[in-house]
Amino acid sequence: MKKKVLAILLTSMMTIGLMTGCSSGTKDTSVETTPTEAAQKEEAAPTVATDSENTAADGQWEYKEATLTFLIDSDVSLDGFNAVAELAKEKLGITIETEMRAGGADGDNLVKTRLASGEMCDLMGYNSGSLLAALNPTEYFIDISQYDWSKKLDDTYVGTVSSENQVFGVPLGSAQAGAVLYNKEMYAKYNLQVPKTWDEFVANCKVLDQAGETAMIGAFGDSWTSQVLFLGDYYNVLAKDPNFTSGFEAGTTKYATSEAGLSSFKKYEDLNGLYNDDYLATTYDDACDMMASGQGAHWFMLTQALSNIYSLYDKETVDKIGVFGVPGADASNQGLTVWMPTSIYGNKNSDKYDDIVRFMEFYVSDEALNAMTEAQLPDGPFCVKGYQLPDNAYEAVKTDMQAYFDAGKTSTAQEFQTSVKGSNCPAICQEVASGQVTGEKAAKEYDEDCYKQAIQLGLDWKE
Amino acid sequence: MDKKKIYSLWFLVPATTIFAVFFIIPTLASLYFSLTVWNFDSSKFCGLDNFKMFFSENSLNIGIKNTLIYAVLTSGLKVILAFLIAVFLTSAIKTKHIIRSVVFFPNLISTIAIGITFAALLHPTKGIINSFLSIFGVGRIDWLGNVDIALFSIIGVDVWKGLSIATVIYIAGIQSIDKGYYEAAAIDGANGLNKLLHITLPLSRPSRNSVIILSFIGGIRSFDLIWAMTGGGPGFATDVLASIVYKQYAAGYYGLSTAGNVIMLVLIAILAFPLQKYLYSKETA
Repeated sequence: MKKKVLAILLTSMMTIGLMTGCSSGTKDTSVETTPTEAAQKEEAAPTVATDSENTAADGQWEYKEATLTFLIDSDVSLDGFNAVAELAKEKLGITIETEMRAGGADGDNLVKTRLASGEMCDLMGYNSGSLLAALNPTEYFIDISQYDWSKKLDDTYVGTVSSENQVFGVPLGSAQAGAVLYNKEMYAKYNLQVPKTWDEFVANCKVLDQAGETAMIGAFGDSWTSQVLFLGDYYNVLAKDPNFTSGFEAGTTKYATSEAGLSSFKKYEDLNGLYNDDYLATTYDDACDMMASGQGAHWFMLTQALSNIYSLYDKETVDKIGVFGVPGADASNQGLTVWMPTSIYGNKNSDKYDDIVRFMEFYVSDEALNAMTEAQLPDGPFCVKGYQLPDNAYEAVKTDMQAYFDAGKTSTAQEFQTSVKGSNCPAICQEVASGQVTGEKAAKEYDEDCYKQAIQLGLDWKE
Repeated sequence: MDKKKIYSLWFLVPATTIFAVFFIIPTLASLYFSLTVWNFDSSKFCGLDNFKMFFSENSLNIGIKNTLIYAVLTSGLKVILAFLIAVFLTSAIKTKHIIRSVVFFPNLISTIAIGITFAALLHPTKGIINSFLSIFGVGRIDWLGNVDIALFSIIGVDVWKGLSIATVIYIAGIQSIDKGYYEAAAIDGANGLNKLLHITLPLSRPSRNSVIILSFIGGIRSFDLIWAMTGGGPGFATDVLASIVYKQYAAGYYGLSTAGNVIMLVLIAILAFPLQKYLYSKETA
């Protein structure tokens, strides 16, 4: 008898143990996702009609309590988003539960797996452009082009979050640039001029290096950072060959065989030996610290690093940092390669369809943008028509970057112009930056890498 | 008779069902999908293109070489070091229970945690290992950034982590050796080294074979530690087969990465089965 009782006890404990084990494994921070799945099917495709009532003209928002989950990678500064989320809670009754994920390849993997398995959060933060195209967005995300408020999004931006005439994303923050961040104090100390050409830039680096400074900051511990020089050089590629994008998309123009494309990879060769000693172990966060504390002169980085430094330090520190576009060959044509912001996408298969759309509409309203800029200064212009940069923007954005925009010398990065981006780009850039291969070899590797992406996307490329 | 046979067959149903659902069907499905361009929603048949593409992969040469170096070195080092530790731990020392626990400890920690911790310890400028070495005047070594030593740094950590299981297997093997052999040898005047070389070493062969097979297969399909420490970098310098497949999967090339998995399955089978056969033929002889 005793034995029986013991056996029952043990088995029940085991089952309970198993069950709790399972559920805690999938829970994460998003409590809301699982229990609703059954109900979801019956509600089926939500109707569009419900929307019209909350397109209130004079900032009157419909108040209805709801909780939305939001998946985002941890390298994005969320101060601005959080400020909007606070406001949304007050005005719309929508509580946002943020769930962090890894960036880079691990993050891509997680996003794709969760989309395919139907476990995606209600809202998702993810890249615009080619990376979005690789997600098969029509399958998973809410098409916002049916709503009037989506018309106020910038046209270039809309092009990077669209597929098959559908529009999916709203910008999470401001646009930014892939450029050179430089230490203005160090430039003053060594009496250097902002370089107009690549050769001048390399000469500046050599001067700093000989003076015992760290001329280049490398943060290749996070391999994605190594791409910024290559990707940020796209303005110069287009300057040399205006038809590069169309040729590339058609599979006829290759990096290895075109002079314009090859020069991007060759630039890495010139910088060998100029990096900080531990550049292969330094992470993005480490590098932000180095930039802020003046331990390095230049860093090829997205201007989102300014916001990161701002939230770690203060505006004064950020204003010691200047920005110039990746220098090219022609001194009279120096431009800036612009990145479209990370976007927020709504999960089409969520049962909170209406709440998601409500939040997205609110997110691009002036009211929300004001709250955002109050909490986090922009890294570049906003992708909402008619919304101006605030007066207290960072010097680098207000002065340095704006000059490029005023002169019309900007171009979006390649990943926003074509759907093809080789997935091994970070590793290839890291390989050439650490001197393991030549620029030619890296360009060839990247071409092969892009070929794989083209096949996956169903493009008709010849090998 | 017939009835009895059918009756007994029913006992196989539960196990077979599980095996079929979780092993046989996925394996067959993956064979099919490795021949397609696949994005989860739809797949387009493309013949052997994926295999062709996988073999023309630029990092594959590095990957296969690294995989073999990794498997052979980790397996070899574990076999030798674990044997020495096991001999030490089966000898008459007072604190052997505590030391045994200590040796087993690394195996209790998650591999990813070990990888992240060691990546920090091996940091070229801030890592504790280089700080320690600098006391002895050893210059700064970029353990994970230097292309020539990165793989070996990871191998070192893998050995540190995997020694415990190998040691436990050895201890079990050594303890099961009949004490009579040692007594007989002692009467014949054998010293400790003689006993070790002529009794312990040959008679622990079964456990050694298990260690070799387990650690070799483990080495071939190793991924987690490498991914946590270098992510296959710098560049492609520490890529192994599994990390190449993982990166392709992460990029959304599901058909291609499935083809890579099929290739890996075949490779493991080609290497592991003959090895096992060889080792066991020695054992029974």
